[in-house]
Amino acid sequence: MSRPVHLPRSAPFGEEERASLDSILAGKSATQLAWLSGFLAGLDADAGRALPAPVPVAAEPLTILFASESGNTERLAHDAAAQARKLGLKPVVTDLADADLSTLAQARRLLVIASTWGEGEPPARAARNYKELMEGEGLRLDGVRFSVLALGDSAYVEFCAIGKALDARLEALGGIRVADRVDCDLDFDTPALEWTKQVLDRLKPAPAAATNVVPVDFGARSGGDAARARLSASATALINLNSSRSTKQTFHLELDFDASGLAYEPGDALELFAPNDPELVRSVIKAAGLGTDEALAETLRTERDVTTLSLPLAERYAAIVEHAGLRRMIARQEIRGWIEGRQLLDLLEAFRGRLEAAQLIELTRPLPPRAYSIASSLEEIGSGAHLLVAPVRYESHGRWRAGVASTHVADRMKVGDRIDVRLRANRHFRLPDPATDIIMIGPGTGIAPFRAFVQERRAAGATGRAWLFFGDRQYTHDFLYQLEWQQALRDGFLSRIDLAFSRDTPEKVYVQHRLWERRREVVDWLDGGAHLYLCGDAKQMAKDVRATLVRAIADVKSLGADAAEAAVADLEKECRFLQDIY
Amino acid sequence: MSKPLSANERIKEASQFLRGTLQSGLRTEETGAISDDDAQLVKFHGMYLQDDRDLRPERTRKKMEKAFSFMLRLRIPGGICTPRQWLSLDQLARDYAGETLRLTTRQTFQFHGVIKSNVKTVMKAIDASLLDTLAACGDVNRNVLATSNPHRTDAHAAASDLARAISERLLPRTPAYREIWLDGEKVAGGEEEVTEPIYGRTYLPRKFKISVAVPPDNDVDVFAQDLGFIAIVDRGGKVSGWNVTVGGGMGMTHGEPETYPRTADVLGFCKTKDALAVAEAVVTVQRDWGDRTNRKHARLKYTIEDRGLDAFRVEVERRSGIKLGRPRPFHFAGNHDRYGWIDSDNGLSHLTLFIENGRIRDEDDGPAILTGLREIARVHRGEFRITANQNLIVANVAQEDRPAINAIVRAHRLISRSSGLRRNSLACVALPSCGLALAESERYLPSLVTRLETLLADCGLADDDITIRMTGCPNGCARPYISEIGLVGKGPDRYNLYLGGAFDGSHLSKLYLDNADEERIVEALAPLFAAYARDRESGERFSAFLIRTRVVAATENGRDFHDNTGPLSPPLPRTDAVA
Repeated sequence: MSRPVHLPRSAPFGEEERASLDSILAGKSATQLAWLSGFLAGLDADAGRALPAPVPVAAEPLTILFASESGNTERLAHDAAAQARKLGLKPVVTDLADADLSTLAQARRLLVIASTWGEGEPPARAARNYKELMEGEGLRLDGVRFSVLALGDSAYVEFCAIGKALDARLEALGGIRVADRVDCDLDFDTPALEWTKQVLDRLKPAPAAATNVVPVDFGARSGGDAARARLSASATALINLNSSRSTKQTFHLELDFDASGLAYEPGDALELFAPNDPELVRSVIKAAGLGTDEALAETLRTERDVTTLSLPLAERYAAIVEHAGLRRMIARQEIRGWIEGRQLLDLLEAFRGRLEAAQLIELTRPLPPRAYSIASSLEEIGSGAHLLVAPVRYESHGRWRAGVASTHVADRMKVGDRIDVRLRANRHFRLPDPATDIIMIGPGTGIAPFRAFVQERRAAGATGRAWLFFGDRQYTHDFLYQLEWQQALRDGFLSRIDLAFSRDTPEKVYVQHRLWERRREVVDWLDGGAHLYLCGDAKQMAKDVRATLVRAIADVKSLGADAAEAAVADLEKECRFLQDIY
Repeated sequence: MSKPLSANERIKEASQFLRGTLQSGLRTEETGAISDDDAQLVKFHGMYLQDDRDLRPERTRKKMEKAFSFMLRLRIPGGICTPRQWLSLDQLARDYAGETLRLTTRQTFQFHGVIKSNVKTVMKAIDASLLDTLAACGDVNRNVLATSNPHRTDAHAAASDLARAISERLLPRTPAYREIWLDGEKVAGGEEEVTEPIYGRTYLPRKFKISVAVPPDNDVDVFAQDLGFIAIVDRGGKVSGWNVTVGGGMGMTHGEPETYPRTADVLGFCKTKDALAVAEAVVTVQRDWGDRTNRKHARLKYTIEDRGLDAFRVEVERRSGIKLGRPRPFHFAGNHDRYGWIDSDNGLSHLTLFIENGRIRDEDDGPAILTGLREIARVHRGEFRITANQNLIVANVAQEDRPAINAIVRAHRLISRSSGLRRNSLACVALPSCGLALAESERYLPSLVTRLETLLADCGLADDDITIRMTGCPNGCARPYISEIGLVGKGPDRYNLYLGGAFDGSHLSKLYLDNADEERIVEALAPLFAAYARDRESGERFSAFLIRTRVVAATENGRDFHDNTGPLSPPLPRTDAVA
């Protein structure tokens, strides 16, 4: 099927050139486009002679597998591919979720870039193939030269668990590790780059095989490196959308990037580089046995993660301060349980010791940004971006804990304040062509990308139907963007809405209950080609919704549980059931 | 008639007997509201579309529509319900209506804050408890009141029986209520099958209120009603018949002197067996004679003024075929409630509880009224009676059950010492839910009373019964024009102060201060309290004193309500007692 083509804004052409190229490329078949791409690549290779580019005879294949939840590993995989092409390799980037594992044995070179999600889980989409790879019988990878890059968050006990497990499994299946696995925390860019350089250096073919085809990243990413740049933004609006009578807060934040335009697409996320709470920083400095130190406070506030307490951090701290009690706990492995639900400040207060300022800085990891799904479409708002931020606050071990970025926005940010941001593309979470129906399930802040979707489809004059499932606590106080949905229903870019408010009735009603009630129509839409999108809480909601979808398909189509599960898995494989969960 | 009909007449006419587009409007999820026309029709079903006015300023900024919800008002003739019904309503209040119930001046319950998606659930539960909300609002006969003071068993039974019979007789017959709220079958053939033998397609020109009183209690304010029945009790305690009153009503509009409250006239006397026919005839004459071109001139009181009482009587007698007798003598002692335990002539006991402004809820650091009454309902074997003064009677308690009830009352602090002013205070709901309110009422009156109590205590009047009533707008739900002290909202923190309304509800008050804030109100009342304490005659009520000493002019009836307003005598100098 031919689709409209839009060159990314980052393409090295003027706007008019882009438009005319778009119109030339529109409606061309996949074969035509493939021919063109080869042809154009060959232009340079053959010094301007208009001949199709020959595939470099000596190009050595390289398989790059990624398992991604938020798009980070996918981006790294494509970056690695670009580097590999320069070195004369012929990389094939494949999502683990879509990979045919039976062909993996034929790969001679294999890079695996895998992220770990939540409490040591693989990315949702890749879960089936991950299980197959880990437990499947008859799979052998004898002689496959491999290396693994693991992404994770050291705030979780099961740090990089998926990468670690894959690394061990590939070796057990007969693979030959060419470079040690690298485990990356949230600041993965630099270690990832180093790993890539190192492994490609070991896998690259003999120099003679190199070609001079300019590697082009044809990924759907909206920008190149520019898009990954850290930008300064200013807050132009900040509104708590929940009523003053609500039990929660959800902030609508409008950011402006000044002259530096940021091109993003609906589905993308924006990372906020929010500083720490100065109060917390003061407490940490005090607990570390240090006196007032403005420079240290500023460094910690803006650059270091002063909340996360990981096992390695506790071990390093024990080594520095030589705290006998702490060392005992570590030795007895009691520390694992102890750090659960605790933060750096708890460690410093429970096991007193004196740290130098430099040691305190060294003890912490760099302050990672927090990503928020963008709630706006550039096609509608012109410039800037809107985010939906719900402050994270909870009590644990007798102390109130506050999410760094979310409470910065909620408590400390004012209109006019500046904050650094960075685009995080989410290539998995894209709108289909405007004629295709979409079903969007987004309770709470999960509504954010769907606001962007509806804005985008309004601007495009989309003809496909759109169906939104939204839920929160109370209809009267928590119906986020209610007036906008009313407008979208009036103008037709939202076809229907189903709502679930959990605290309006004695029995709690959630979006999955509405999904179940509407199962006939939902299955009907899906059979008609609709794309299903799910955004929001990963821990419970996403699992419940997926399970409900399986049940719904089983019920409506009179299928067994396995067949219904396979039907949902097919939707995932076809990228018709897409999730952006956190 | 060349004047065009009022807009509501068109809505009623087009509504297919009150159906409108309510069915589809209820299913529309993205808004908590219903269409403007449906919002008029839904009143006939016993509910109002309201919004939380406290939240209005922030809603648009937060990208939300107004905080809409529904007020549901029950139809409970005579205000009598069973403990089991109480428990159902209590559960609904806790599940769907903000954990509060409101007793009203029409002897019924109101739920506030029921959101659209829950309305049908609540309506079905109300139906399951053998209650309904039909005609609790709208241009129909509203909930029928009956004297609730139960110390005269036979007369009270006669009054509540009559109230119930009138309510049933005048109930709309449209199947819309069952179709819309209870998922009932639509009657085949639609509107052709429906007949409203009493109301017709367009119902009444305006709301219609009826009460039944048993002297000496005028707790139901019979003179404030379109139609009233006053029991004539013989020496054996039996009701020998009823004086019929017509043309009372409270509503008026600020700045429009052609609108005014009015006390009812006595039309004549009828036997109990004729009372229903008389009631129906009064209603149908008003249906046909009432002014459908101007809703501010549509109540029966204006029909009586325009056509004359005699002409009205002739038409009622013609339609009913009943010749009304000469009115019999009667005597009212007051329009207040008597608190505490009283025994009736059948040996049962009755506990009247003062519920300030009829608000039933658990206070954070105060009485747990909702919980306490629920506990009583669990053990009570008699019935509950809601009074027209927004209070509650735990009625028909056997002597042996009194200790158990008393223990609950104590445990939940259902009785607290109140001044004579407070226990005779009434306020309408007003802000934040009522769309008509111009000023606070229920949320404000208690604090004003506290301030006035200090003045009264200084004069030694702390325990004297003085009626004070406040409403947030001039429509008069709490019957402020028939109170000794009346306060009617004019704007934020501004009230008209009316004085001199009869303690027994027999005549109206007079405007004393216009558009006054709290300071002016307190300043005006302080010397009057002092003078009353000093100069009153034995047994003389505060309002009677003010008229006798020519502080305010007496109001004979509605027509002279707007005459001779303001202080007649210059305010009395402050005395030492009010330092």
